[in-house]
Amino acid sequence: MSFGTEILVKVGVVLAFALNGAVICTLMDVKASAWMQRRPGPLHVGLRGFIFPLAEVIKFIQKEDIVPTKVDKTIFKLAPAFILFSVFGLFVVVPISPTLVVVDLNLGVFYLLAISTLSTLGVLIAGWSSANKYSLMGGLRAAGQLIAYELPLILAVVGVVIQAETMSMVGIVEKQIEWGLPFAIAGQGIAFVIFMIAATAEMMRIPFDMPIGESELVMGFMTEYSGIRFLIFYIAEYINMFVMCAIAATIFLGGYHVPLLPVEWVNFYGPVVLLTKTLGLAFILVLVRWSFPRFREDQLQNIAWKILIPLSLLNIFVTSIMKVVF
Amino acid sequence: MRNKLNQSDSQSFLDSISSKFSNIVNEFDTLKINVEASEWTETMSILKNEFELTYFSWLSAVDWENEVSVGDPPKESVNPHFEIICCLSESVEGNLVLVSTKIEKDNPSIDSLVNIYAGSNWHEREAHEMFGIDFIDHPNLTKLYLPDGYEGNPMLKSFELISREVKPWPGDVDVEGMPEDGKEEGDS
Amino acid sequence: MDTTLDPNNKPFVSDASVSVEIETEDMTLNIGPQHPSTHGVLRLVAKVDGEKISSVEPVLGYMHRGYEKLAEVRTYPQITTLVNRIDWVSGFANEIPFIAATEKLMEIEVPERAQHIRLILTEMARIASHFVFNGAYALEIGALTPIFLAMEDRERVLDLIESVTGGRFHPNFNRIGGIKPAAGAGPTTKKDIQDLPAGFYEETRIVMEKVLEGVERFENLVGGNEVFKVRTKNIGIITKEMAEDYGVSGPILRASGVKFDLRTKTDFLPYEKFDFEIPIGENGDCYDRWYVRLMEMKESANIILQAIDSMPSGPLQTKVPKVIKVPKGESYVRTENPKGEMGFHVISEGGLGPYRLKIRTPSFSNISILPELLEGQLLPDLIAIMGSLDFVLGDVDR
Repeated sequence: MSFGTEILVKVGVVLAFALNGAVICTLMDVKASAWMQRRPGPLHVGLRGFIFPLAEVIKFIQKEDIVPTKVDKTIFKLAPAFILFSVFGLFVVVPISPTLVVVDLNLGVFYLLAISTLSTLGVLIAGWSSANKYSLMGGLRAAGQLIAYELPLILAVVGVVIQAETMSMVGIVEKQIEWGLPFAIAGQGIAFVIFMIAATAEMMRIPFDMPIGESELVMGFMTEYSGIRFLIFYIAEYINMFVMCAIAATIFLGGYHVPLLPVEWVNFYGPVVLLTKTLGLAFILVLVRWSFPRFREDQLQNIAWKILIPLSLLNIFVTSIMKVVF
Repeated sequence: MRNKLNQSDSQSFLDSISSKFSNIVNEFDTLKINVEASEWTETMSILKNEFELTYFSWLSAVDWENEVSVGDPPKESVNPHFEIICCLSESVEGNLVLVSTKIEKDNPSIDSLVNIYAGSNWHEREAHEMFGIDFIDHPNLTKLYLPDGYEGNPMLKSFELISREVKPWPGDVDVEGMPEDGKEEGDS
Repeated sequence: MDTTLDPNNKPFVSDASVSVEIETEDMTLNIGPQHPSTHGVLRLVAKVDGEKISSVEPVLGYMHRGYEKLAEVRTYPQITTLVNRIDWVSGFANEIPFIAATEKLMEIEVPERAQHIRLILTEMARIASHFVFNGAYALEIGALTPIFLAMEDRERVLDLIESVTGGRFHPNFNRIGGIKPAAGAGPTTKKDIQDLPAGFYEETRIVMEKVLEGVERFENLVGGNEVFKVRTKNIGIITKEMAEDYGVSGPILRASGVKFDLRTKTDFLPYEKFDFEIPIGENGDCYDRWYVRLMEMKESANIILQAIDSMPSGPLQTKVPKVIKVPKGESYVRTENPKGEMGFHVISEGGLGPYRLKIRTPSFSNISILPELLEGQLLPDLIAIMGSLDFVLGDVDR
């Protein structure tokens, strides 16, 4: 197989994995909310609600794609794509099985965190170019939030990197197989919690959805978007949720492997295992979303700077000492 | 059961009010103090500080006029004037008084109560746009409800309801009958 | 000044000198009239410095329907339909003060059974209104689930109101001198007339149990949530003095620690027959206002349960003249609406309609406190405070 075909196949598989994952996440979100809120729609209507995502997509495609006159047109149109590419970019290094990974970069974790910051830029330009005060405030809130939570996200992973002695994603999983336990149990429990909180904030989901803040900022940086461009934001949100959970599952929960299963067969059961772990984490996020109110902007910053970052620094400190001692 | 709705039933309160103010009316369990327009703010200060009527309920005006363009005119001829009514209460016993004063219809103006009761701000703005009454020393006497550029004071009795001019309201005829007339009571 | 983002007008970057502190102008943010949390068409012109609000000017009148003027061209029975629509979330409770003021001027005694049915329906309207508040407030704070639960519970109460009056929102059920009988029930003045639908008592007991369950669920789901607490505790504190000065009434006044409920102070309805607590708050913050309303629902459910147990028999209406003419006089009657003190000042000149009808609505006075309350708050708190005042624009604008 030539390099080109190999990459194509891998990209195809990863794309399918990502998009289907996003669809499953959407379904899960919608169905869990309907179950919690006793809404019949997504539970009973249309093949028991399973064609809901399809109907949603068709609805948004039908809608007029309005570009307001005063917006900065090029950037306005570009912003959704920016966000979409940045979330897809994350998938490049997520190993679905030891061989089924687009590129196993040496600096996988580093790449991951660098790419995830790109979406900040997308949100900011979406907010700025919309020429709407609500959008602008949403964009600025998003920028502040994403920068604040990028730090605990990185610092939480640093603990794992120290423990695993590698920055490659496959390497981290291999290390967990070697240890026999996922890192969330073996030493990085706090880091795992910090990572999940920071990831929720990165995804801008409740209780950290101030940039969208429907009751305050109408729809935040997405206010002026409609039709298919809004749909792209919408899909990107769910892909982001899926990929963040996949990353957490890989780094902290042993990725494509579960203890006791034979390592030689990992290429067969790997994708299923990863999907299960990912969806399990996503389900927690769904439950949180539908049962929590929203924090205030300053409270959000306080949580990041006064709690999460000191805690993750402490985690790194302790991990380093343990590493030196043992 | 008698529906008496006694809002100012405390006899001691009634006595102290009547010892302080001479012109009071207590009909239908509604205690009303009539004062001169020049004593308006002074009365309010007394009521707030001495009678502890700290709760500001509402303020509004009545346009007394013999010639009316809508509704029925007063049965007996009245001297055209504006009556300003302010309702004060307190929040322990529930004592309630209406304070009323009369002002001229030409260049109607009266002292504002904003410095005594902050809540009168919006009520005075409403009375200003609806009746054209000026409240002296009001910090922001602008329109509250009506759009900019609206002319006229809608609550004046001389202000016509245009739709009523076109088609008179059938109120006089369309009165609901009692069911024992034999006819079925319609869905009204 | 309006700092719009006009691409042809770019004074910001080039004019700013980097070495000195940049004097930034406040941004004018128009919140409403179309905005998810302004309960209709309230418009707030806010000057914001980043997230901080430096001043707020409410702009009213987008729903001004001129009811005070309209009342002057209508007869007394016709006005009942109008007053229904003032605060549409609790339509029935609006009718009471107007009807009571008119009955007082006519010196009519209302039969006990009619008063009881009025009381039950008023309390049901209160429960329905507070359910809307509870759901909507959680939504404004950012919790998406409670509104659905609240609407489900409220629907049961509305069904009960509908079964008695025939209307969910605008019952128009009160008549001067009594209430309307069930359709086809015959003369209203005879004894033991069929007025309440069959099975009403049973149904009410079941629904009130559900309401009490719902209140408990809200207490756990919303009140037990730490995020909700940090968003509402010590936010938007209204002191007792401030509340009285502005004429703030109802649950907001009680949340500020004033134990004042017109249900116990006036006898527009026979509340003295029933045992109930008046819940009050301590700090007067958003959380207290939320909590007081929640507890009020519990008390209302208890009042209804007591009332259906002690329902007297008798006629529904006193004999009133065919053409209702109210004698000359004036009367102010105020009642405890779900939102606060609602009062009607009726000035009658002996005609078919009032000479002047002043409508004192709770929401109008309640939100007049906003400019003072919101100064210096953060934008998310603006939403939290505004929501906690629980106003309806029909009630503000009339």
